[in-house]
Amino acid sequence: MTDAAQPSPETVIAFRDVSKRFGQTVAVDRVSFSVGAGETVSLLGPSGCGKTTTLRLISGFEDPDEGVIEIAGESMVGKRPYERNVGLLFQHYALFPHMTVAENIAYGLKHRRWPKAEIGERVDEMLRLVQLQGFGDRRPGQMSGGQQQRVALARVLATRPKLVLLDEPLSALDAKLREELRVELKQILAAVGSTTIVVTHDQDEAMSLADRIIVMNRGRIEQQGTPDEIYARPLTPFVAAFIGRANWFHGRIAAAAGEGLCQLATDAGTMLAIPHPGGAGGGSWSACIRPERVVVMALGAAGGAGENRLPGQIVDVVNMGAELHYIVDGAEGRLMAVEPNRAGPRVRRGDRVQLLFRADDCVVLPRKPD
Amino acid sequence: MKPDRGSLPLLLPAGGVFLGLFFLPMAGLFIESFRLYQPGSIGSAANAPFTLTNYAELLTPAFADFFLETMRISLLASLAGLLFAFPLAYWITRRFSPRGRAIAVGFFVTLMFLSVLVRTYALELTFGATGPLRPFLQALGIALNGRPYIETLVGGGLLHYIVPMATLTLLGTIQNVDPRLVDAAQALGAPGWKAHLTITVPLCMRGLLAAFLFAFTFSISAFVIPMILGKGRVLFISNLVYNRFSEIADYPSGAAISMVLFFVALAIVYVTSRQVNKRWTS
Amino acid sequence: MSGRALDNGLRLLGLVMIGVIVCFLVTPIFVTAVMAFDARPYLGPLPPPALSLRWFAKFFSDDYFLRGLGTSVELAVLSVTVSVCVGVATAIAVERASFRGKEALISFFLSPLIVPPVVTGFALLLFLSKMGVINGFARLLCGHIIITAPYTIRATLAGLSGIDVSLTEAALSLGATERHAFWDVTFPLARTGIVSGAIFAFAVSMDDVAVSIMLTDANTYTLPVALISSMRANFDLSIAAASVMLMLLTLALIVVLDKFVGLNRAIGQGVFRS
Repeated sequence: MTDAAQPSPETVIAFRDVSKRFGQTVAVDRVSFSVGAGETVSLLGPSGCGKTTTLRLISGFEDPDEGVIEIAGESMVGKRPYERNVGLLFQHYALFPHMTVAENIAYGLKHRRWPKAEIGERVDEMLRLVQLQGFGDRRPGQMSGGQQQRVALARVLATRPKLVLLDEPLSALDAKLREELRVELKQILAAVGSTTIVVTHDQDEAMSLADRIIVMNRGRIEQQGTPDEIYARPLTPFVAAFIGRANWFHGRIAAAAGEGLCQLATDAGTMLAIPHPGGAGGGSWSACIRPERVVVMALGAAGGAGENRLPGQIVDVVNMGAELHYIVDGAEGRLMAVEPNRAGPRVRRGDRVQLLFRADDCVVLPRKPD
Repeated sequence: MKPDRGSLPLLLPAGGVFLGLFFLPMAGLFIESFRLYQPGSIGSAANAPFTLTNYAELLTPAFADFFLETMRISLLASLAGLLFAFPLAYWITRRFSPRGRAIAVGFFVTLMFLSVLVRTYALELTFGATGPLRPFLQALGIALNGRPYIETLVGGGLLHYIVPMATLTLLGTIQNVDPRLVDAAQALGAPGWKAHLTITVPLCMRGLLAAFLFAFTFSISAFVIPMILGKGRVLFISNLVYNRFSEIADYPSGAAISMVLFFVALAIVYVTSRQVNKRWTS
Repeated sequence: MSGRALDNGLRLLGLVMIGVIVCFLVTPIFVTAVMAFDARPYLGPLPPPALSLRWFAKFFSDDYFLRGLGTSVELAVLSVTVSVCVGVATAIAVERASFRGKEALISFFLSPLIVPPVVTGFALLLFLSKMGVINGFARLLCGHIIITAPYTIRATLAGLSGIDVSLTEAALSLGATERHAFWDVTFPLARTGIVSGAIFAFAVSMDDVAVSIMLTDANTYTLPVALISSMRANFDLSIAAASVMLMLLTLALIVVLDKFVGLNRAIGQGVFRS
């Protein structure tokens, strides 16, 4: 990430042991994290995980019950939303329908008392930034979803906020538009050098927009790291299951097997070679392997790299166009293998096959009690 | 129930208005209904003793007759109103273009906004005993001064407000019923009328009850309509209150009748809304 | 096949009912409008042999009616003004209240709508007499304020509750204080509710009979009260002329309502039930 020799970037926002309760429910449970200048961080998690509450705590619409929130070194205790220079891009844009685009963009500038002469210039600058020059006199109701999103972005960035919060920025758009705007959004945010927090339940959105992802579940942070770290080295079963797809095996460590590997005796009786999780032997563990790392071969065929070979029968072949998904039933239940679609499906429903995968590709986690 | 810090001063004007112009007067009326009335004076004397005679008087058959007549005509008018409004609302919702629907809505809203005096006068003029349609109605063999006709006319006056109001309420209700449900019922073998009876009507129950509630409370509280169309022969409870006040100055009795009317209206609203919420909240 | 026969029969019955009720609703209005232009000096059978404006002239030359009209308009304007101010303030406060509190407050402020108007008028008369308010206009004003206020509160509430909360939050996050956010965002968007409420209130005030009849005195009376006395004393066609003019007033109010608010939205605000 950052070169060890460089000084750490200035911290724009710091959360320290922040908690928030609503009645009996703990929405945010002793959450701590920080974001440095210029970083884009994503708060990722399913609905109810606390990411929206965290967003509202940062922007000032809720106050924390415990803990400290600091923005640019200043404590935010008692500060109303209009006293924090935090930009908030709402999920459905919240553009003022009775004002023109230019008036919407100028709204924040007016209320932060920019001199009148400069407001006009700044609005034009923002319109150019989001490529909506000449749209100043239109009303939001007359514009498409994608255009509205750009106006909302311009409105947020106009006041040069220290921190920009994006609430599910791409969820209201259809798939094609989403792809286009994702790239544009990234470019604009980079051009402005903004520090951004993206709140989302969509891992594609998080992985593609953020430098660092904070995965949340039930009010707590499960893991923080780069997209690659989260994907390849999940630290908890939740993160492993939430990000990407996974095949799971549960069992006990039977014996060490040299070279840092060991044997996992699964509940169904299969012996798998997996990386040794460390510590004494025994204990219950779960191992997961990503479907992209599982290779489907004809039963009985030799060759192929992988310490683990599991026999099974093809139950379904799904041609997704760019990828092929093979659903296989075996002793370990239903497993999935995914490969790029080069020349169409290699096997058919009903074929008996074997699934190959390497021990090193497995991620080993302590087993969660059911 | 705490409104936040900024709200309390905002509630003061309304609080003052409602307290001074509604709650205190109603409380005063309640107290007045228990005071003894000396015939010949205006209202009760300043320190008249408390008594229950004003209410006891109401238990006589004479008053019960008035009460039942008000209830009867109101009930019939409300039910008739719903009976007419439902097919009307259904027809407009399902068979009209959006523009046609807008015009129909405009028509009914205009009717509802129309002054009650205009409507009542119009009805009395058109269908009354001295109106231009007299020869025509007499040719139909209708006794224009007979009690049944007068009662019907009062009911008609009530209908003239109830039907537009119920139609507007039901327009929204019927719009929320998926027409494909009736199609599904017919595909399963039910004839059209049965499909509507077992599907459309139950799904509209909440709107129907709401419309009935509106219609009934409006009817029992009616004043102008029975006053003009009733010709002094059909009296609703509101008219009775006015008579006690204007003809005899027996304020305590008028107050007692008012309280009865008020509590009946309150009870109906309370019971019906509990029913609506209990049975039809998803 | 009896299912289909019954179907067709019932459909026919439905159409007949619709025809009957629409005729019933429209005919009296039509008859009145026509008779108002009747040239005969008495009430005779339809159709009128000749048309004239005599009844309108009679209405406008009758001091009794004109005084009533003047008082009605004054009362309507004053009571609507007070009701709108009270209504807006109250609706804002109620909108901000917690959920349970909101229901209680709404029932509280809409309660006069359940009370029969005669009872409201009677109660107010007794109370105002005890308080020593004997001026006829003042008493009528009190009555008109209390019957119009629930309409303005209800319609304004409906207008306010239709505003997406995220719009106010957006304003706050951009730097506007609560007060600025209200004037910049909430108020302009709630305007339709306020206008609806004002128009409903105006119609209610101009039309009221039961409350006004209790609070009126020999010198101060409203047009509806004057018309009612006239109807009972002398049932002639000058009242038809008055009716036609009231019809025109109603149409004017409807047109204004549609222009500023849109009728569908107005109905939603009129029957708003929290």
